[in-house]
This record gives sequence, structure tokens and C-alpha cells, in this order.
Amino acid sequence: MPKQCPHCGKRSRFHRHRSRAMKPKLGLTNETKYSKRYGRGFKKDFNDHSIEHKIAFLGNPNVGKSSLFNILSGSHVHVGNWPGKTVEKKEGHFILSDEYFSLVDLPGAYSLSARSEEELVTRHFIVDEQPDLICVIADATRLERTLFIALQAMELTNNVAIIINMKDIAEKECINLDVGLLEEKLGVPVLYVCAYEDESIIRIKKFIYDSLHTKKYTFTPAIMMYSQKIEYMIQNISIQIADRKLLSEYPTRWVAFRILEGDRIVKDELAKEYDLADIENKIEKLAKEEQFDPAVEISKRKYGALHQIVYSAVSGYEDFKETTSDRIDKTLLHKSWGYLILIVIFAAFFLITFYASSPIITGIDWVFVQFSSWVLTSLESINSPAFLNSLLVNGVIAGIAAVLLFLPIIAIFYALIAILEDSGYLARSAYLMDKVMGKFGMQGSAFLSLIMGFGCNVAGVMATRTIKNKRERTTMIIANSFIPCAARLGVIAFLTGIFFQPWLAAIIMLLLYGVSILLVLLTGLIFKLFYESDDPLPLILELPEYRRPRFRSVMNLTWERTGIFLKKAGTFIFVASLVIWFLSNVPYVKPTENTVLLYVGMSPVIVTKVSIAEFLGRGLEAITIPLFGFSWKMVVPLIFGIPAKEVIISALSILYPGGITKVLWTIPQVISFLLFQLTYAPCFATIAVIKSETKSWKLTAVGFFYPLIVTSILTIIVFQIFSAIM
Amino acid sequence: MSQNDSLIDKPENAVATVKVIKAGFKAIRFLADLGIHEGEKIRIVKNDIGPVIVEVKGTRVAIGRGLAGKIEV
Repeated sequence: MPKQCPHCGKRSRFHRHRSRAMKPKLGLTNETKYSKRYGRGFKKDFNDHSIEHKIAFLGNPNVGKSSLFNILSGSHVHVGNWPGKTVEKKEGHFILSDEYFSLVDLPGAYSLSARSEEELVTRHFIVDEQPDLICVIADATRLERTLFIALQAMELTNNVAIIINMKDIAEKECINLDVGLLEEKLGVPVLYVCAYEDESIIRIKKFIYDSLHTKKYTFTPAIMMYSQKIEYMIQNISIQIADRKLLSEYPTRWVAFRILEGDRIVKDELAKEYDLADIENKIEKLAKEEQFDPAVEISKRKYGALHQIVYSAVSGYEDFKETTSDRIDKTLLHKSWGYLILIVIFAAFFLITFYASSPIITGIDWVFVQFSSWVLTSLESINSPAFLNSLLVNGVIAGIAAVLLFLPIIAIFYALIAILEDSGYLARSAYLMDKVMGKFGMQGSAFLSLIMGFGCNVAGVMATRTIKNKRERTTMIIANSFIPCAARLGVIAFLTGIFFQPWLAAIIMLLLYGVSILLVLLTGLIFKLFYESDDPLPLILELPEYRRPRFRSVMNLTWERTGIFLKKAGTFIFVASLVIWFLSNVPYVKPTENTVLLYVGMSPVIVTKVSIAEFLGRGLEAITIPLFGFSWKMVVPLIFGIPAKEVIISALSILYPGGITKVLWTIPQVISFLLFQLTYAPCFATIAVIKSETKSWKLTAVGFFYPLIVTSILTIIVFQIFSAIM
Repeated sequence: MSQNDSLIDKPENAVATVKVIKAGFKAIRFLADLGIHEGEKIRIVKNDIGPVIVEVKGTRVAIGRGLAGKIEV
């Protein structure tokens, strides 16, 4: 039973009161009252009767950060994107003894150096939002590495607490941890848990609560001391930059270190009001004298200090011992078996995604057909106007159906990705494919996107999330439109079956697939020329230990990501369906014998025998016949095929009522048509995900026009050659 | 051990100490953040074709073959 709010009588106790301030009781002002009761970390916003604390989760990839975040937030998770970034932002909250703890799951990062987009987002959040507590999640089995980012955070703020995860695995490996000693050496609160034990939830909540409220823990982060030369340099910089505006917001020592490390963002900010040339000269001189890169030297010192701390508090680490994961890798990463297993796993991945989803899609389709005919008959029985009926049934309901029909593929795809990711195989597949893809100037992680694109470009574009490099990701998002999805395969099979002998049809199909792969690779090369990469790094990839995927985290990931698709791409697809309905139904003509219905997805488009479509087709003939060899009856299906390629076959059969026969099209025409439809435009759903993944209208426009232009040029060349020789 | 042995010259399971990394500063800094820097002991987990996998601080890191050739041990 939710208790009532004592102030406004609302049933929930936890909501904001914007106007009403809480009245001080017992003669104490709010401030003294709260600081007495809660100590550090209280918020000054007394319009809230529940106090809000901002907690950030920070840590390396693969330390179980997201699982911890999910078990703490329960169902209160909101997934979105960081403003203007393609990096996922996860927010949640929990409530403990009348107080509101808002949680932010920062993207996994190895350091706070702000090199990748993830690291940049992470640092910006810590620096600008100044959370009340930063929980650094570490992994008990590899403390040195996972505590590195904690040391960096501790230079930036005092409010750091460390949660060491993977207690179960560490105990299995006989690793003993002295939490008290770690706390003492690091100077911040430390908690040792296993994310999958039920009692962990309350332990972590209590830990966070106690860290903020009680004097049980101290926040005196160990200050890292560096070599004399570096400390001297830091002093030097600190004095020179003193009294700058930036320093009222950030710790001087931290800013000095950023300058020493050559952090461009901090330097640019300072350069606005201060000439840094002098400092830079000094740093250069120091680097030359000592023959080191200050950034590397600082990291090295941090690791050195961590090594001492960790080895004094932890026993049982066995360095350089072959683990189970290593033994599994002997097979899975074998130079020949590895690739065979990779092919089998990805073939299974591909088949499961599309075959398991197809009965569900059929089911959803059936339900919607039943539902819309029921709605139509009920509407007709109350004599509602035909225009309104069509809008409701063919516009609104069909629009919703168009979104939901994609859902099974997306959900199954994400569930399988989550399993691959959790088990540790996804990183291995990137490792294996790096050599193969590297020949074409792409990274191994682009492989998954390429494969998925053959089933559905929407899945292909979404698979680019596993690509860490921004340029490569953009390339694969755009290039995905060149990969013939299952719908285009249908068109190829239909037409080649009519015009060619089976053996020739097979060869042509393979050639067409070859052309599309060439176009993808070509796009990779073109983008390399025009799109400057922010990090042209060679492959440096952590391979996590193999772990059993947890049902709960797989479900969480699937749920979150499918939700994003529904919200972002779903809205777009729905609106696009409505627009198509308006274009083809206004002014409204009641379907008669003289009209035919074309189905675009679920929404029927009326093509009158003398319709706008024919008009448009005949108008374009003047260009398309000499260049592509397309008569208007070939142009119209291609226009209707832009939103969804499935339409091409049905449009062709309507425009050629007697069926397409060999005498209707010449061979150059057939080749030209096949080639053009293969890559000319992404479907509306693909455009929708291109928009939601890139967050850029410019790139979305490129995603639409670039394939159109390239395909047109290619088709014209091929058609002219064929018509010259035949 | 000759003077200019790099990671790719080492057999699997060999433990080696990084001497110098002769790569671009971005790569060097990224490696340093992962704990791979001068003086660090690492174990070669896999070195046949493709990227080299090394063990450092209890984690496995795959390093592109080109870059691995620039890490002298």
C-alpha cells in the first residue's frame, strides 16, 4: 500500500513539489536539520520532500557494471542517448528510507582521458554534473586494471566509492581480499559483492546510503605522488594557471595534470584566457630530457602504485597461468577451426533471427488483418464516412502494424547479440574477422553488420552498435543499403526465374551479390578518403573471460534496446506510413473496378488506371528509356518500392496483368532492372534506423541519396554496355 | 634474446618484459591505459596468425599484428 504524501495527499510519497517548501520544524532551519541528520551529500533543493542524490556508475567494460545497475534500479530504467551522441545513456533510480537515489550508468571506459566518445561522455558527466557519489565498479579477478579508472576519478573528486564485483568467481579462484586494508590504502569506501546474490542488492543500497550519510566511511582519496620531475612540473603549471576561471570549477592539480598529459579539451578551454605556449615549451623540454611521454609516465606511475596497493591487500592472484578461457580459445580462435566455428555460429545466428521471427510475424500480421476487418465492419455498420474508415484502418492501424511487424526480428536479434556479448564471443568474432576485414580497410566488428544486412538492413544498421570506431560505424550504416536484404532477394529470384535458365539465374544471382559486396567495400574506401577518422588506431581489443550469459541480463538488454527501436524508429515508421496513406488517398477516391490496390507493407495504396503514378512514370520515361531502358511500367514499381521492396513484385504483377513474359523485356532491360532494384534505395524502416542511430539528418540524407546516385551511375553504364553488344 | 625482438617473435606462453613501444603516441597512450608500458611483464597467449593476444594484469588483450611488431621485448 503506498502511503500518502503528507503535503499534498498524493498516493505516492516520492514526487517533486515545485512550489511548496517544507516548513522548518523544531526551530531548526532546513539546512541545519538536514546536515545534522544526513551529513554530507544532502541537496539544497528543499522544494523536494524526498531528498535526491545523484549517483554515477563508472567502470571498465565487462565488469558487470550494467548488471549491478539493473539490479539496483529494478524496473525503473530509462534508456536513451547522451545529447548529441550515439552513446547509450541509462538512467534509473531506487528509493531507500524516504530518499531518492538517481543512478546514471556511464558507458564502459578504460580511462578518463577522453579519447573515445564513451570516455568523453563519461568525463563530461563527472566534471559537469558533479554527482554526489561516483561508484567505481571493479572486478575482483583483475583488480589492478579495473581500479585504474578509480585512481583517475579520485584525482577529480573526493566522492568516490568502490564496489568490487565478481566475488563468486574470485572465491572460486581462491583469491582473498582484505577490504579493510584496501579501504585504508585507497582512502575511499570499498564494498565487495557478487552481483548475482540476492542479498547484494540491499548491501549495495546500504553501502551507498552509508557512504553519503554516515561517518562510517572516510573520503580522503590517496593522493598519487609522481616522480620529482613531474611533481615539480605540476607545481610549475599550477602556479602559472592559478586564478583562472576554469580553476574555480575543477581541482588545480587535476587541471595541471591534464595540461601535462596534453589534453586538448582542457587546453582549448584554458587557451581562451591564457597563452599556454610557455607551459607547452616546458613540457616539451621535460619530455625530451627524460625521454618519456608524460601521459604514459603518469599512467605507468598509477599502475605502479596500484600494483603495490593491490598486492598488499589481495592474495591468491596467479599471474601468467593458463585459464579455462585460454584453453577454450585454443579451439575457438584456432587459425582454421576458429573460422569454421565462426561461420557456424553466425549462420545459426542469422537463421535463428529470421526463421524464429517469421511465424511470429505471420501471427502478428494475421491478428492485424482480423482486427482491421473487424474495425472496418463495425465502422461501416454505424455508417461512418468511407474516408474516415480508410484513414483509421489503412492509415493508423496499418501504421502501427508496420512498426510491430519489425519487432520480432529486432527483439530476437538483440537477445542473440546480448548472449554473444555476455558470453564473451562477440569480442572474439571481431578478433577473428579483423584480418579478413582488414584487407578491405575495415575492422572485424563490421562483420556482424554485414552479415545481418543480408537478412534485413534494419538489423544490419543496428548491428553497427558493436563497432567502436565512429568512422567505420558511419560507413557501415550507410553501406548497409547496398546489401541486398531478403526482400530484394525475392525480386531477384522472381525475375531471374522468368527470364533465365536455372543455371544462368544462379550465376546472375551470385554476380549481383558480388556487385553489392563490392559496393560496400568501395563505400568503405570512399569514406576513408572523405571522412576524417578521429582515431585511426590499430586493433587493441580486450578479450573478456568466457562467462555463462545470465538470463536476466540478456532479457534486460533485449528489453532496453527493443524499447529504443520502438520509440525512435517506430515513431518514424508510423508517421511515414501515415504520410504514404495521405499521398495516395487524398483526394479520396472510393475503390472501384477501375482501381487496383497495392499493398505497401500493410497499407493499401490505390493506383487508378490513370493514376498519378502512371502520369509520373510516363513523365520519367523520357529519361529512363534511353538511360536505363525502363518503360513506365518498370518505373512505377520502383517508385512504390522505395518504402518497402516487397512491393515491387506485387506492383509488377498489377501492371502486367497477363504476367511478365520473356517477350516483354529485353535482356539488357532485365539486367538493368535487377541491378537497379538491388541497391537503389533503403526502405523507410532502414532510413528510420539510420536517423535514430546517427542522430543526424545530414547522414540520413546521405544514406538515401548516395545509394541512389551510385546505383544510377552503375546501372546506366551496365545498360549502355549491354545494349551495345546485344 | 636479441636486442630487437618484438612481440611477434616470441613463442606462445613466453613471459617477456616490454622494453620500448615504437608506435604512434595515441596507440602508446591507449596501451599504457591498459597497463602495457615499458617495464611491464606480459605473457604471450597466442601468436600464430592475425593479432597477438597477450596477458597483462590478469586480462587478455588482442593487439593488431602491425602494432605488436612495434612492441619490443
